[in-house]
Amino acid sequence: MCHIRFFRGSFVEKKIKKILVANRGVPAVRIMHTCRDRKIPTVAVYSTPDRLSHHVFVANSAIHIGEAPPAESYLNMQKMIDAALKSGANAIHPGWGFLAENSTFAQMVQDAGLIWIGPPPNVIRMMGDKMEAKKIAIRANVPTIPGVNGIKGVEQVKKWMQEDRVTYPIIIKAALGGGGKGMVKVSSDDELEQAISRARSEALKSFGDENLLAEKYIERGRHIEVQVVADQHGHVVHLHERECTLQRRNQKIIEEAPSPSIEDDIRYEMCFTAVRLMREIGYHSAGTVEFLFDSSTKRFYFLEVNTRLQVEHGITELITGLDIVDIMIDVAEGKPLSFKQSDIRPNRWALEVRVNAEDPKTFSPSFGTITHLEVPQGPGVRIAQGVYEGADIPPYYDSLLMLIMTAGPERDDAINAMDRTLARNFRVDGVKTLAPLLLSIIRHESFRRGEFSTRFIETHMDELVSMFKDKDTEDEVLKIAKYVARISALGPQEWM
Amino acid sequence: MIMKKKVKNMQQSVSSNENMTVQQYSNLVRPGMSPGEIVKAVRSLNGVIFTSTGMRDAGQSDYKNRHRIYDLITLAPYYEKMNLFSAECHGGARWHVGIMNRKESPFEEIRLLRERMPNVLLQTLIRETNLWGYRPYPKNVIEYVVSLVDIDVWRCFSFLNDIRNMRAVAEVVMKRGRLFQPAISFTQADWTTNEYYLGLVKEIVALCGGVEEIILCIKDMAGVGSPARIRSLIDAIKQAYPELEVQYHRHATDGLAIPALLAAAQAGARILDIEEDSLTRFYGQAPMLSAQAFLEESGIKVILNREVAETACQKVREWIGFYEWAESPFKGFDHTVTLHKMPGGAFPSSFEQAEKGGFLHLMPDILKVMSLYNRIVKYFDVTPGSQITWVTCSGIVNKYAKEKGEAGVKHVINLLSKFVLEKNQDMNAMTPEEQEELLLLFRSAPGDFKNLLLGGYGRLPMGWPAAWVYKSAFGDAWQEKLKERKEESPLDSVPPDDMERLSLELNEHLGRPATEEEFVLYLMHPKDAVSMIQFREEYGDAPLVLPTNVWREGLKHPGSRVEFDLNGKPYCIELVSMGAEHEGIIHVVMKVNNKTRVYTVKTARAKKTEIRMAKGAHHIGAPINGNVWRIGNPQRGALKVGDIVHKGEEIANLEAMKMENAILAPYDAQIVGIAVKLNETVQEGQLLFELKALN
Repeated sequence: MCHIRFFRGSFVEKKIKKILVANRGVPAVRIMHTCRDRKIPTVAVYSTPDRLSHHVFVANSAIHIGEAPPAESYLNMQKMIDAALKSGANAIHPGWGFLAENSTFAQMVQDAGLIWIGPPPNVIRMMGDKMEAKKIAIRANVPTIPGVNGIKGVEQVKKWMQEDRVTYPIIIKAALGGGGKGMVKVSSDDELEQAISRARSEALKSFGDENLLAEKYIERGRHIEVQVVADQHGHVVHLHERECTLQRRNQKIIEEAPSPSIEDDIRYEMCFTAVRLMREIGYHSAGTVEFLFDSSTKRFYFLEVNTRLQVEHGITELITGLDIVDIMIDVAEGKPLSFKQSDIRPNRWALEVRVNAEDPKTFSPSFGTITHLEVPQGPGVRIAQGVYEGADIPPYYDSLLMLIMTAGPERDDAINAMDRTLARNFRVDGVKTLAPLLLSIIRHESFRRGEFSTRFIETHMDELVSMFKDKDTEDEVLKIAKYVARISALGPQEWM
Repeated sequence: MIMKKKVKNMQQSVSSNENMTVQQYSNLVRPGMSPGEIVKAVRSLNGVIFTSTGMRDAGQSDYKNRHRIYDLITLAPYYEKMNLFSAECHGGARWHVGIMNRKESPFEEIRLLRERMPNVLLQTLIRETNLWGYRPYPKNVIEYVVSLVDIDVWRCFSFLNDIRNMRAVAEVVMKRGRLFQPAISFTQADWTTNEYYLGLVKEIVALCGGVEEIILCIKDMAGVGSPARIRSLIDAIKQAYPELEVQYHRHATDGLAIPALLAAAQAGARILDIEEDSLTRFYGQAPMLSAQAFLEESGIKVILNREVAETACQKVREWIGFYEWAESPFKGFDHTVTLHKMPGGAFPSSFEQAEKGGFLHLMPDILKVMSLYNRIVKYFDVTPGSQITWVTCSGIVNKYAKEKGEAGVKHVINLLSKFVLEKNQDMNAMTPEEQEELLLLFRSAPGDFKNLLLGGYGRLPMGWPAAWVYKSAFGDAWQEKLKERKEESPLDSVPPDDMERLSLELNEHLGRPATEEEFVLYLMHPKDAVSMIQFREEYGDAPLVLPTNVWREGLKHPGSRVEFDLNGKPYCIELVSMGAEHEGIIHVVMKVNNKTRVYTVKTARAKKTEIRMAKGAHHIGAPINGNVWRIGNPQRGALKVGDIVHKGEEIANLEAMKMENAILAPYDAQIVGIAVKLNETVQEGQLLFELKALN
């Protein structure tokens, strides 16, 4: 691409010299990788318990930013900006989570004279307010789910349900929410009151705002999202869709691209609906338009716009060959996109699993030290890891240890590579991970056929757990070794 | 430094055996043969055949059942070719010690042995109603357990010789087409006459529908039968039932085992119990090679592949040294066993208990009291009778020792000697003071003794003890107690167990559904089974694959290593270094297949923070690991003990990774306990509330 200094007269290319990555774990490391490719030095930030974290080692330099609670560290906007200024960074990439969709922060970054690697602050604000986002979508002629905003209490919800002829189940959500936090499904009048108070309390805790909305809950819906990239020059290109239907507690755990559940005509319509919306709101940088697809009626509804890089962006990179973080940096520097829509021709199928540090049966978080880690390798595998062997998993942050992505010419190839990866050469000791559940899911007949809904995991949980391998020889040997260690240290025991 | 000497894994030991000079011996009897075929094969013998107790009673008698299957299995390839009648490898106390001490399941032992000696009959020893546990089980438990154990020869005995009690085991075994081997408990006493035994044999023949499908065992568990006595008994049985095949089981305690075996064979017993010569100490069976030599010299042909048997005896020497620690501190033959009658298996364990309890010096006195006691209450000193005798008699002696010292012990022995030996148990011949003392003798006897007096185990062989024994045991209430005494077999008097409830109970202990085998272990020894299963969940197959020196002592020096195969792949664990103890923690660095790992071992000094877990329906546990950020709910505020909560009401809230998890009251209840504090971090399953349901 040629080096354009002036474009349309008003945009000046700003050279990014050093990036502060305002995040930790997997997203921080992911961004630093592209920075290394571009020879851009990176600055990590860390809270006290993260002093020896993986992202700190990967960065060129690192700054302590506060104590363990996120509000004092990774959510502390002023400290973040001070750190960037102090370290000589001239740009901030927020990753995902934490401050990534905080318009106040984005504005503060720009006001401090730093480059914000992300969409414009006013667009983040607009899309962050779910009620506002929905209004805009309706205005842009994008189909939306029936719902009601600004919930005050039970009666109001009941009235809306009566007027709009909505039946249970419904879902109560934080207006500023995301990531499954502050979302509660309600199946009957009895549960309504408690659900509202729980959603409100979680909303307050997670987003500092207690505004709620209610929506019709689509029973067998599928989450399909369209990855969009746009520059500051009005070019908007979609990078096709991702299927993100498989969730537990409203958090995605397996994603794939393309979606196995839609035909080409719907795909086309959905992708261009997303492009239309993003153009309408003046988006630039990378973002995602999420839809809920009702497979029984073949209709899709707008859910939300994620104004950030997403966890699952890697599978889009695998099928398109692009580097989305690289594009975000280019866009932030004011460069136009180097490709047109017609240049985007995906030719792979890619799958991603989120390896969280959680009990695979109960989803209860598992903290502790990773005493042993074997990272899977082999053909068709991409790993994004946020930890290393010996690292501690602190209880303060989310539990994502690693993303495992596999790709192949067809869906089956990607699944087979994932099966090999999870079953044969992946080991984490010291904390429990979701790996056994992930393996059961990708081996499940319905998953192989591409037939599943957002409720797949809850409805099949017992079956999935029964598919866990009982005994793994490696695990068994480690149990024996544990015994040998104990007896070597303690000598013959009374009970013998 | 490689601890290779004993580190041969099981696969290797089998393959090394293939290099042995292979001689084709088709065993006289094999698994799969019907009981009738087995009996016919034995009957056709011109000579005798052996049952080796090397895998069970040998270890029970002299090594407290500590022989691990890891070592015993090395004998299997030889047993396969030795031409044995059977291998006694199961049952007795081996079952309990297996789960309690060796952490081996009797089910996995059978599977391993079947794999490596498929042509050998596997034999168990089972108590008629106590099975492999210590309480009389109801019929439904007996039938369930016996039907699940894959054993070919079922030697079943009653410490009371109450043949009625054998019915349940006999029925299931015979229905399964396995060989039932009823055993009569033998002792040498004035009341154990040939007539007495012939009466029992008659009952047995009636119970088993003739002599065609059983082999009768004479179980001389203390090793007290003199050669002449044994000859006379077997001769009497063979006279009365010429077609009944007889097996003689005898311990060696009195030093006369081999001549007694010869007497038995000459009188017509065709199967004899022996063990490997190199396993022989004092209280187990006779040495097989010596027995064979002596019998053959005396003109009795012995079916035994001598060459293979010699190799088996050699094999034992490779590992028997690892068990020196388990041998009885009391060594040597003991002809006074003919008086105190302590059975072979009880010898090492009672001496061990005496040593642990600090009364080893009282053992001669206890044995003396036992020899007098067994004339007052007549039954056979074999499990559970031997335990009842032991606890009762050692209790009496200890009580006198504590209260009156050595003089007291002498005094009680003199008292009992006078009563039993001089006055022929005539209460009226004793002084009033002595009478009073005897009437307190059994007051603090164990519950099992009292249960025995009340018929809980069945009928006593010579009828119920004298009335004064009841007065002594039960005090003023003795006559009422006497009315409770049962005449029927426990098979008819013990109410059935609620198997479903027991199974749920076990699932609750384990936190998962138990397997059928685990449930059987639980039925026999509930507490020990649960701790064994939990041990195995934590340490996997360590009890099966580790050589005995490593199992017991671990790796001692940096560079020491242990090698084994697991699921067809080789593994190696090597000690790199061992840290010093610091605040109750030792760090052990090891290489597991060349990869370095650090293990943290807590010592006895480690601080114990006990976390109470929720158990049962009235306990509310934490569904996840998290932080208790609210106890109560926003509507009514904090909850406290005594508050009433309603079904579905939020009673606490846990937060983990920014997700809230409401804990709801499962039913209308009163809070009787709150086990956690606000902002406490709790682990999954940890007790939060104790509730009392409101009805």
